[in-house]
Amino acid sequence: MTGLRTSLHGVSTPAPHREALEARVALRIAGRLSQGAEALPHDIAERLRIARLHAVNRARELRKLSTAPGQHLQGGGVLAMSAPPSWWLRLASLAPLALLLVGLLMIQRTYLDQQIRAAAEIDEAILTDDLPPQAYSDPGFAEFLKSPRSVE
Amino acid sequence: MAPASRTLATDHELSDFLKSVERRAFKRTAFAVRDDEAALDIVQDSMIRLSEKYADRPAAELPLLFQRILSNATMDWFRRQRVRNAVVQNFSEFESEGDSGDFDLLETLQLAEDTIATESAADSVGRAQILLQIEHEVTQLPQRQREAFLLRYWEELDVAETAAVMGCSEGSVKTHCSRAVHALAKALRAKGITP
Repeated sequence: MTGLRTSLHGVSTPAPHREALEARVALRIAGRLSQGAEALPHDIAERLRIARLHAVNRARELRKLSTAPGQHLQGGGVLAMSAPPSWWLRLASLAPLALLLVGLLMIQRTYLDQQIRAAAEIDEAILTDDLPPQAYSDPGFAEFLKSPRSVE
Repeated sequence: MAPASRTLATDHELSDFLKSVERRAFKRTAFAVRDDEAALDIVQDSMIRLSEKYADRPAAELPLLFQRILSNATMDWFRRQRVRNAVVQNFSEFESEGDSGDFDLLETLQLAEDTIATESAADSVGRAQILLQIEHEVTQLPQRQREAFLLRYWEELDVAETAAVMGCSEGSVKTHCSRAVHALAKALRAKGITP
């Protein structure tokens, strides 16, 4: 190595030799830096350890999700079904809607029957009850009696 | 059976990998952002990103992926800082054109080897101080030079991998590395330090 000189811009040294020299110096500096990295303060080393554990746990959770039957992971964690639903599945999904419609129709029918029954009961009560004498002094009732409809 | 290179990383492999890089990742980030708390946050975010997005990759791909994620996370931090504080960071590519052309790299190496050979117990006491000086000089490097130097020689990526992480050509990586080594060696020698 005596007398062998290299310059920054490699004027006097062949490129391969210059690169080898640079690499040797660089690796020595990197070695020193590694010593520093090993001597990190305890609190920082501990926080790095916790961050690592957190990251590994996260990866484990995502793996479990991605291997769950019928599901797989897409993009940022959105779960989707693995295949389009079959016709039977689609028909089955319509069953609740059909049940709801039938139920509504039945409720409407029952309500209408109740209304008719209530009106019939009122009419029956009016027609079968005794007519009070004051009713004949009522001009409206008198007019009703005269009308052809009441005669029928 | 799948080839070994396509075997997905297990939790154990992911953990071992992160354990092997976490300290260097922290120091590298701290050199760049000069803030230990921010560096810890960036490294933690990078670990989570790796585990969330790339845990299903083969273990052999993890180093390059992690370095890329870490570099991007650091750049994101700088962008956020720039927007938040409008602080001018030393992001420029200003290269010192006035570097002395006749600086002797080999002499530096020779001195370093001599120093190790004759190191006494008393010398070792000052090691921590020397280390601080070396780290200080690393932080003083232009950002791209520092990144290229640390990826290439500390993370031991090859030139092509370093170029991929940095998003530049292999020639640029070589240039950045060369300038960084010379700048470091010169600065350290000026302080009487042999790496």
